[in-house]
Amino acid sequence: MSLLFRSRQQGAQQVNISGFRRFVMFWVHNVQQAVASLGELARYPMASLMTMAVLGLSLTLPATLYVVVKNTEAIGADWQHASEITLFLRKDLSQQEVSTFHKRLSLSNDIESVRWIDKNEALQEFRESSGFGEALDALTNNPLPDVLLVLPVANKRGTTQAQQLAQQLRNEREVEQVRLDLDWLQRLEALLNLVRDGLLALAALLCIAVVLIVGNTIRLNINSKRDEIMVMKLVGATDGYIQRPFLYTGVWYGFVGGLIAWLATAVMILWISGAVTDISELYESQFTLVGLTFNEMLVLWLLAIGLGLLGSYIAVRKHVRTIEPQ
Amino acid sequence: MIKFEQVSKTYPGGFQALTNVSFHLEPGEMAFLTGHSGAGKSTLLKLISMMERPTAGRVMINGHDLKRINSRQIPYARRDIGMIFQDHRLLMDKTVFDNVALPLLIEGYSMQEARKRVHAALEKVGLGDKVRHYPMMLSGGEQQRVGIARAVVNKPPLLLADEPTGNLDPKLSMEIIKLFEDFNRVGVSVLIATHDLGLIARLRYRTLTLRDGRMINDGLQES
Repeated sequence: MSLLFRSRQQGAQQVNISGFRRFVMFWVHNVQQAVASLGELARYPMASLMTMAVLGLSLTLPATLYVVVKNTEAIGADWQHASEITLFLRKDLSQQEVSTFHKRLSLSNDIESVRWIDKNEALQEFRESSGFGEALDALTNNPLPDVLLVLPVANKRGTTQAQQLAQQLRNEREVEQVRLDLDWLQRLEALLNLVRDGLLALAALLCIAVVLIVGNTIRLNINSKRDEIMVMKLVGATDGYIQRPFLYTGVWYGFVGGLIAWLATAVMILWISGAVTDISELYESQFTLVGLTFNEMLVLWLLAIGLGLLGSYIAVRKHVRTIEPQ
Repeated sequence: MIKFEQVSKTYPGGFQALTNVSFHLEPGEMAFLTGHSGAGKSTLLKLISMMERPTAGRVMINGHDLKRINSRQIPYARRDIGMIFQDHRLLMDKTVFDNVALPLLIEGYSMQEARKRVHAALEKVGLGDKVRHYPMMLSGGEQQRVGIARAVVNKPPLLLADEPTGNLDPKLSMEIIKLFEDFNRVGVSVLIATHDLGLIARLRYRTLTLRDGRMINDGLQES
């Protein structure tokens, strides 16, 4: 409906287009504008690619760090004996009592397995391997206690649960002393937390940087099309119509930037994985670096597109409105 | 069609471009707006096209007070006004077709519908064979006619022209004015700002005259 001339029918209404077709046409126009924006970008491939690369590479750093943290967490979780509890039993227990206690523990729901190190066997081993054999001969009785190595069930291996279990075991009559070597695990966890927090902060900063860079690029784009925008406003284009191609440009930046981020992250992981393999060989373990999963790649891509869109939206909101025909 | 009631316009900085201007252009009327440079012709046109807002007084189009039209509605209101400029304001990196089709695509026409109308408009201004050309490849008179085609392609009831013949020789100017007469004949109201007094003298149309921002003759008093 015309604003100034009631009787005058305008635009789409005039040719009597159905709501459905108008809906279809809306999307057709959007696709056309999206393709047109892509064509516009292709006219200056170097400049466009540079912006996309900045976007992509900015996301590569947090993505790679994320992969490293993810894998380190996996190591922490994988470590079977991380929260193994060592029980030193009282020395006055008979072989029979130790055996009963061992069986009792094995049946507990919280405990996956118990390994018994017999004090006589331990003494024998110690005598052979330590070189104190003669000194030990001088002792009249075995100074070593029986030892039980308790491995909690999987969901009790966290630091707090393992500590609770150790506390329970400490109260057992047969137990003289309990040792739970959690220090290094706690340190690893604290370190991981530090890296994770740092990663978040870094990712946030880089995301802001990406938004600003895209915003600035779009601002320059808008300024270079000042005359065109003025003409469009003169012939009745709404701000929304003028904005759309710029928003699509931002989306394309994110689209291609996300692909660049994938590629660069994959290269980075390939690069690191060589060193990781060397380390894991030194520790005689079979460890391979796990890259981004499909879902994580999708998230990375959507994030890139979202940032591109956000950057262009900010620029467009601010600048398209200020350009007025003269 | 266009009604000014005691309209004044003072630009930021204190320059008073228009002072107490009143006139009324009837629907379907064609008129010239004249006056020396800086008399306020462009300001008057800008008030109609809402590129500027009056400091005082009322501007009405078809009975609608333009004060009531907020900035979000301006684009829609401008679709009712065809505007033609001395520098024609064509997009130089777009073809003649794309330039003329612009208002239609903005209004949401489908490509087929737009193509029909663009061809009709270009045919009307005599540039039916220059559809695929770029404005650079056209002469000044042809560029101006592309601008006219763009202004009339969505058939607005009102045409505003700011010095449309400013850069053209008398023969070409006359052709342009003939085009405006053609549109006027089918009911379009036309207001042409020009300082080409020779052109005005050859035609017998109502002439509004501005001097230093005042309407010294609204074309109705003497005749």
